[in-house]
Amino acid sequence: MAEVSLIYLVDGATGEAVEAELRDAIKAAQLVDWQTKWQPALITVLQELDRRGVPVGQWPQSWHWDWRKKTAAVQGLLAFRGFCVVAAGVTQGLAQVDLTKGAREAGQVGKPLVYVDYLEVAPWNRPDLGQQLRFRGVGTALLSAVVALSEAEGFKGRIGLHSLPQADRFYRDRCGMTDLGPDAAYQGLRYFEMTPDQAQAFLKEEE
Amino acid sequence: MTKRTMTLNLTDAEMRALDELSVRKDLSKTAVLRQALRLYQTIDARVEKGEKLVFENDATKEKAELMLL
Amino acid sequence: MKLERRKEWWIDRARREGDAVVGAGLVARDPAPESRSLAAGEETRIAFGRFVHLMRRRQGYSMEQLAERADLEPSELLVIEDDVHYVPGPRTVYKLAETFEVPQQRLMQLAGLAAANDAGLAREAVRFAARSESIEKLTAEESAALEVFVAVLSEWDPKRMK
Repeated sequence: MAEVSLIYLVDGATGEAVEAELRDAIKAAQLVDWQTKWQPALITVLQELDRRGVPVGQWPQSWHWDWRKKTAAVQGLLAFRGFCVVAAGVTQGLAQVDLTKGAREAGQVGKPLVYVDYLEVAPWNRPDLGQQLRFRGVGTALLSAVVALSEAEGFKGRIGLHSLPQADRFYRDRCGMTDLGPDAAYQGLRYFEMTPDQAQAFLKEEE
Repeated sequence: MTKRTMTLNLTDAEMRALDELSVRKDLSKTAVLRQALRLYQTIDARVEKGEKLVFENDATKEKAELMLL
Repeated sequence: MKLERRKEWWIDRARREGDAVVGAGLVARDPAPESRSLAAGEETRIAFGRFVHLMRRRQGYSMEQLAERADLEPSELLVIEDDVHYVPGPRTVYKLAETFEVPQQRLMQLAGLAAANDAGLAREAVRFAARSESIEKLTAEESAALEVFVAVLSEWDPKRMK
């Protein structure tokens, strides 16, 4: 049974708070949304980019992920977990994590962390697709869930991820993660880690 | 999420190994065992699918096969 | 696993996200242009994309229709037809070869997934790509070029070379 946390997003048009759900599982409903809502929206955007002659190098970079395949591959395995954000009855973001990896950062080497295999927000929540953003905060919510999972599992909030190039600054500046540089083994994507101290600051409830 | 309880009987050597890992990994002993279970299940599933678990010497690039039976 | 915070905590963080694009994970294509070298593979890949494009139009399919027929993602077809740097996965090429009824191995070589053991394919691929300029309707010229190339793919016998 998936645990549900009540969270809040911000409406991209009005700036108003919107109630949403953060769930610690990716279920059939999410895959249906991915297939019937995310994919068509993405095709429309890609066709528009194509029509406008935008070079493919500037197209959104995670459009090719097949979430059905990703979740099927880890079915029944304790080492993998999924998260989703749902608002207005529709899946707004997905994340899949791996609990078997270890930290690389000098001060944390060898200690287990929660590694983000994939994190993606719905096409209409992406600021880079030249349209009015529907909800802000989905990516942050998913990342918060990952850090919280790390703490819940005794990993002290340690997390790791390979950033999509457009997200580098977000992880480094907004989340305060350590930038371990481009990883040649991962298509040159920058690898980021969060230490226990950084995690504590990230999840802290200010008074 | 419901949790079940299990009593574990370990030898002195096993208990020592568990303590050492607990310190090295900065994990509670329970967390160490849960991690071991995750790894064992994942490795087993992949070997079952036909993959091989291999250790590679980073310096010499020598590969030694580790197989789960 | 629940995460409980006050409403203000969530709103504050959502606002701070601003216009950042949040995402993580291995991408389907290589996002670093510097590491891409213009290898021999790209010559034939131009032909591969052109071939898929023309075969699709010859059969009167939209991308969505071809995707459905070939059991592929329409977004991948879009990139195959448009991006010479994109290397499709083996399953994709297999499904396209099956749908267009051309030899599996040849299409793999064209897509850059398998090494061709003769330079002839690359030569024919370049010739085909040059003859088949992309325009609205499938012209008689394009049709002819396509027919010749399909014949090349189907009948090319490496043993006859050298």
